[in-house]
Amino acid sequence: MLFKSVKDVQTRMERTGYIPSQEISTIVFLAQETQKPVLIEGPAGVGKTELAKSIALCLEQEMIRLQCYEGLDESKALYEWAYAKQLLYTQMLKEKIKDVVSTTATLAEAVDEIASHEDAFFSRRFLQTRPLLAAISSIDPVVLLIDEIDKSDPEFEAFLLELLSDFQVTIPEIGTITAKSRPFVVLTSNNYRDMSDALKRRCIHLYIDYPAFETEKTILRMKIPGIQERLLSQVVQTVAKIRELDLKKKPCISETLDWANSLMILQQDDITEDALFKTLNTLCKHKADYGVVRKNIGHLMKVGS
Amino acid sequence: MVNVILKFISCCRAADMRISTAEVLDCLNQLEVVDFCDESLFNTVLRANFAKSRREQGEFDRLYQLFFHEMQTGLQSDGGLPEKTLAGVPDELSDKLAQLVRQLRDQEGSRQIELEKEQGNKLDQALMDFLAGNPLAFIQEVQKIHNQDEKASLLFKSNLGQLSSRLEIMLGVNRLKNKMVQFLGSNDSLVDADVSGLEEAMNRQLNKALDFLNTEVRLDNAGLKETRTHELHYKTLGEIPFSNLSCGETQMVKQIIDRLVRKLEEITTRRFSAASRGMVDVKKTIQRSVKYLGVPLEIVHKSRSPRRGKIVTLCDVSGSVWSAARFMLNILYSLQTCFSRVKSYVFIETPLDVSSFFKFNEPNKAIKQILNDPRINYNTRTDYGMAFQQFRDNHLQELDKKTTLIIIGDARSNYLNPREPLLESMRERCKRLIWLNPEQEKFWGTGDSEMKKYRSHCNEARACGNLNQLIDFIEALVL
Repeated sequence: MLFKSVKDVQTRMERTGYIPSQEISTIVFLAQETQKPVLIEGPAGVGKTELAKSIALCLEQEMIRLQCYEGLDESKALYEWAYAKQLLYTQMLKEKIKDVVSTTATLAEAVDEIASHEDAFFSRRFLQTRPLLAAISSIDPVVLLIDEIDKSDPEFEAFLLELLSDFQVTIPEIGTITAKSRPFVVLTSNNYRDMSDALKRRCIHLYIDYPAFETEKTILRMKIPGIQERLLSQVVQTVAKIRELDLKKKPCISETLDWANSLMILQQDDITEDALFKTLNTLCKHKADYGVVRKNIGHLMKVGS
Repeated sequence: MVNVILKFISCCRAADMRISTAEVLDCLNQLEVVDFCDESLFNTVLRANFAKSRREQGEFDRLYQLFFHEMQTGLQSDGGLPEKTLAGVPDELSDKLAQLVRQLRDQEGSRQIELEKEQGNKLDQALMDFLAGNPLAFIQEVQKIHNQDEKASLLFKSNLGQLSSRLEIMLGVNRLKNKMVQFLGSNDSLVDADVSGLEEAMNRQLNKALDFLNTEVRLDNAGLKETRTHELHYKTLGEIPFSNLSCGETQMVKQIIDRLVRKLEEITTRRFSAASRGMVDVKKTIQRSVKYLGVPLEIVHKSRSPRRGKIVTLCDVSGSVWSAARFMLNILYSLQTCFSRVKSYVFIETPLDVSSFFKFNEPNKAIKQILNDPRINYNTRTDYGMAFQQFRDNHLQELDKKTTLIIIGDARSNYLNPREPLLESMRERCKRLIWLNPEQEKFWGTGDSEMKKYRSHCNEARACGNLNQLIDFIEALVL
């Protein structure tokens, strides 16, 4: 079921457990109405991928995910012929092929005869569909998530452009496959490199930052039912302070959740220095970051209380 | 409504934002879907379509604020936007102001033909437009300052070009103020109360123009990767700044670098051989199958061409930087097998291609030769702006989407014009722009260091002043 309005996006996404800001819900609604891909930028762990999942849940559509990496090419993203299978079949059907050509008189005729059967070997049976082709050829509309597009090569980006504008693919041996229903496309980028202007032009741009104080509290309250209000605000405040520190990897929302969970399990009602150290490995994932937090412990505790 | 947005877009374009017609169409289509009387929605739609990276959002917000809040161009006639966006000068007043400017222009019309060739004239017109509620020409004038090239001069260097253009605009503002006050005084059709109100409104508007000229957008570079902490690979030796190494220590550092290079080469080749199995090579498989009576026993895979990038380094060779840069160049050239090509330029003021030195010599020897090259003028002052300008003019073709550009320098440009938009245009041409600064982070932006400005245009900025930091960087680059 499609979204009816911006407000509708908000309420339905909240029901799936994703708290969108007004900007996010506006853009999701616009993308659906104008059938344009959304390009999401933002630091790691702010819920870019989560947003796509939530959209799929709301729209009750399947989500197809393509994870990009350096060296990703069409054969991994779109389709590939199953060569080994084709070769194997040719071997197994050798006798049959002999039968087919046995009635022909000349070599030329034999070739013609074989040619009329070549469809058998270049049919869908030998085609390995990869995420992009799966998204296009699906009968029901799907949500297509192209994750970390900034990691892919420029060549792949150029290829994607073509796909995103027409939603059709040509496979020389089979023909052109046009999308039966346009997928809802979400691209995410961690800004490892800048995307080309051409790609940006085709997308609606959305920047997601770390959630605001109140939003993060709402998220925690929803994901960890039964958390004390006092502990909740202490957790969110401390994490916000830790994010301001000079860290290799700043704690993201899921790490805040992990931390709050472990504090709950340890039955801490307050964040003390001791409790913070005991649970620090849920927040910091680098040895160097440990030291930084340790050094600034006084500052962090001042906020916590 | 469409007119207002088109006017806004021409302002954005004047400020060097790239907005295509397709994006304008998208935006208008989307505005039909949402309730654009809600300003936050209106803003979201415009922003999502016109500012397509985090970097552009700062500039967009500034223009949006200027256009839709501080000026109230064209909104009176179209009435497309709700009242609350029309902050600043009350409607009635601004109408009158615009009218007044028109009158002033009529009056001056006859004189202007004679003055047409004069330089300041265009600026005066732009300012008058601004007062009348159309900031387009003014934004163009301001943008011109940012983009103007400094003339290369051998004897005397200054950044006066940019400053004097700024001064000219400020003088223009004062000139117009005086002219308007005079005109207001001589205008019989106005009541005294009106005059003071109008004068105030005019001053306010012109001050906004000055503000726009003087404030620079602090770019929010969310994608910037910064590494401040580093691993302790070597306890004492690793922490000594390159510039303080003694002769013996330098030798030790070189040995460590040699070891590191060997280790890295080994890792990358091993990784390559494991990852190089690609698709089945049908042609070769069939060829081989002939040996086995047509049975494809041996399946041949296409090997992928190695994933290698090109590296271009732009290296400041003035005193303090050089001690760090030599290790950097040494390591990059030793690792040549990991990259498809390494090209390097050194500069104090003019970039000089030194790749050929490394081609025929062993890195350490090449570095010695570079230092003695007569083409490098060590008597001039470091000028990053000029170096970037000349790099853009002469060597920009070296950059492509597979190139990583590494700039090694302390960003101390002797208070000369830093020309940071040039860095932006260089970044757009390459895959990644990495700035390595031999100074530690706490000194960035102090004195004549322009690092804060440059940093906002880089993909990655890090301090690289001792062995530990160098090792961190190299491992991140190669692995």
